[in-house]
Amino acid sequence: MNEELPAKELLARVGRHDLAALSELYDRLAPRVFGLITHILAFRDEAEEILQEVFLRLWRESKSLDHESISVAAWLIVTSREAALERLRTQHSSRLRPDTPREGGTDGNPRSAKPLVAAPFSSRAASKPPDPRTRAGRLGPVGPAIAKATVRIPPAWLPRPGEIELIGERLDLLHKTIEQLSKSQRQALELAVFGGLSEEEIAAELGEPLGKVRTGLRAAVTFVKHRRRAILGTWAADI
Amino acid sequence: MGCRHLEEVYELFLLGALSEQGSLDLRDHLARGCPRCLVRIREATESVYLLSLFSKPARPNRRVKAELLRRLHKK
Ligand SMILES: [Zn+2]
Repeated sequence: MNEELPAKELLARVGRHDLAALSELYDRLAPRVFGLITHILAFRDEAEEILQEVFLRLWRESKSLDHESISVAAWLIVTSREAALERLRTQHSSRLRPDTPREGGTDGNPRSAKPLVAAPFSSRAASKPPDPRTRAGRLGPVGPAIAKATVRIPPAWLPRPGEIELIGERLDLLHKTIEQLSKSQRQALELAVFGGLSEEEIAAELGEPLGKVRTGLRAAVTFVKHRRRAILGTWAADI
Repeated sequence: MGCRHLEEVYELFLLGALSEQGSLDLRDHLARGCPRCLVRIREATESVYLLSLFSKPARPNRRVKAELLRRLHKK
C-alpha cells in the first residue's frame, strides 16, 4: 500500500472494508494506542485484548465515521482510553495489584504479565523513580473508581484530520509543559488521565484536601491548554 | 449565556474527573446548544488527546496483528 496515503483516506477505505487499509492504519497507529492501553492496564494480555477490540470496533464503525471531519488517530486514542478505563473498572474489585506477580499472559510468557511502563507525568519530570502511588492508586483492589462510568466522547467533538498533526510533530516540546507543573499537580493529572479518577477520588488517593486538588488540577489543565495553544499557534477566538 | 466559569472544566469533564453534579450541569448546558461551549469542548478534546499521548509508545507483539486480521478475514 502507498506509504503516503493520508490517514483519512485509509479510514475511508476501512469504511469500505478494505483489510489492507486497516493493516496500514494498524502499523502506523498501534504503537501509540498500545502505549496508552498498557499504561492504563498493568497486564500485557489484557492490553492486547483491548487493542484488538478497539481495531475491531474501528472496522465495525468506520462506515459511520466521516473521514473528512474526524481524525482517525484521535478516534483510536480516545476510544482506547475509554475502553481500557472501562476494563479497569469492571475488573477493579477482583484484580491483583500490579506489583503482585501473576500467572503469565495469554501467550504464556511470564514477562507479559508485568507492569509495563512508568508513570509518564511523574517519571519524565523527576529524576527519581516514579511515585508508585500513582499506579497502585489506580489499580488497588478496593477503590472508588469502579462506581462511575467512563465519559464517552462523541465523534462530533473529535478533532478533524490535520487539526492535530502538529501535536505529533511537537510532542516533545508539549511534554515539557508537564515538567513545569508541581509534583502534586502531575500526580493528580496522572490519576485523572490514566486512572480515570474524579477530583474527589484523586483527593482521597493522594490524601490531600479536595479544595487543593481541585484548584491544582484545574490550574494544571488550563496551563496545558494555554501552552498547547501557544506551541501549536492555535489560540481560539474569544467568543 | 454566562458560561465563562466553565472554561476550566471542559477537559476535566471529558476525562471523567468532574464531580457528578458538575458533569450533569455541563451536559445540560451543552444540550442547550451553547455555541461557545461547543467550540471549547471540541478544543478540549485535543487536550485529552494530547495528554493521552504522554504515555510511552509500545510495540504490540506481531501475533496480535495476525490474530486481528484473521478475525477480520472471517467476518
Ligand atoms: Zn456555554
